[in-house]
Amino acid sequence: MNTNNNVYTVIYTTVVCVLVAAILAFVSQKLGPAQAANEKAETISQILTAAQFGQKEHWQEIGNAETIKFFEENLAGEPVVTSTSQLKALNYRIRNGEQGIELPVYKFNNGISVVPVYGAGLWGPIWGYIAFESDLKTIAGAYFDHESETPGLGGKIKDDPSFRAKFSGKSVDFAAEKPFEILKGDAAEGRDNAIDAISGATMTSKGLSAAIIEWMNAYKPVLAATTEE
Amino acid sequence: MGKMKDTVLKPIFKGNPITVLVLGICSSLAVTVELKGALVMALSVTIVTGLSSLVCSLIRKTIPNRVRIIIQLVVVALMVILVDQFLKAFEATYAIDKQLSVYIGLIITNCMVMGRIEAFALGNKPVPSLLDGLANGLGYGMILVIVAFVRELLGSGTLFGYPVLSALGYVNNGLVILPPMALIILGCIIWVHRSIDKDLQEK
Repeated sequence: MNTNNNVYTVIYTTVVCVLVAAILAFVSQKLGPAQAANEKAETISQILTAAQFGQKEHWQEIGNAETIKFFEENLAGEPVVTSTSQLKALNYRIRNGEQGIELPVYKFNNGISVVPVYGAGLWGPIWGYIAFESDLKTIAGAYFDHESETPGLGGKIKDDPSFRAKFSGKSVDFAAEKPFEILKGDAAEGRDNAIDAISGATMTSKGLSAAIIEWMNAYKPVLAATTEE
Repeated sequence: MGKMKDTVLKPIFKGNPITVLVLGICSSLAVTVELKGALVMALSVTIVTGLSSLVCSLIRKTIPNRVRIIIQLVVVALMVILVDQFLKAFEATYAIDKQLSVYIGLIITNCMVMGRIEAFALGNKPVPSLLDGLANGLGYGMILVIVAFVRELLGSGTLFGYPVLSALGYVNNGLVILPPMALIILGCIIWVHRSIDKDLQEK
């Protein structure tokens, strides 16, 4: 058979591509629900870690089903879970200055409320969850995740528990132009609404700071209004 | 039988894709910070090289010569996406897939995969091609695991996340975590390999 024939080449390539596309579509259909479940459990475990219900490793150990069960049992109100792609969409609307966006707040039975943040790091998106005490000002804890920050440097926003621990006990000042800041050197010392940045990860720290400022300003009507009631 | 043995052993030692052919070193710099990630990467690459070589060898007589690179690419891409999808779907591997993020997808750009298809699978029967692909993946994975072992031990003081050196009061070396250190360790491995195997030295 002459495999160098033009017609043969075109037909062959088309058949191979259609075949491969069909296989991928089939596999994606079959595995889709399992992947979505994993992603949902991951998001929930991040929210629970921020709310100080346990360490991140703990949720991995007890597995997806137990994690989701714990989340639903302790949540006050409707369990709506925002995926990372939904956060991205929200971030876009916040950045465009859109008003009246419906922002998610995870309220737990013990009075802790968790809100998400989303922004840009050095190499890719960073996002996370900040947990507030019942006064909706004092930070109870935080958890951050990233797509591709440098391991050991920017990656510390996720991997270094001591960085996350710096948030606990601080508070967000919704009256200020910058409700919360991550600052270099001694600038954060003595301030209630600022923490020290990660050395060697200036861009990631700045990105996270900007993300928190942007989202806290967006959350001002939601969180600050509830406090006054 | 001797030939079959050679097909399997050569890529692991004498013709190792990383230390001798110096193929696929880009990903070996990126995913060797921790042993667990390196191990999953090694297995993924082995599966991808093995299966792509097998499939390409099965259809080798029908591939139009002018578009053979494109057909190879499509087959490799298929395998890579399948591996990625499966890793994402299981609870046990989801966290690791998340950690390896783009690098699983980037297996497709690993010169080693298409290099083996071009050099071996297109001219050989399916079974030897499968073995050649798997052996090359293992040869690649072996180096990956060695580099990751050194980097995790000296960079974080742990092995598979368990404290080893850090338990003895070792202060982590930040340089080992950064990609350039993988290149230096890789250089040392190539040096050792060449000193042991005199055939590899240029006269």
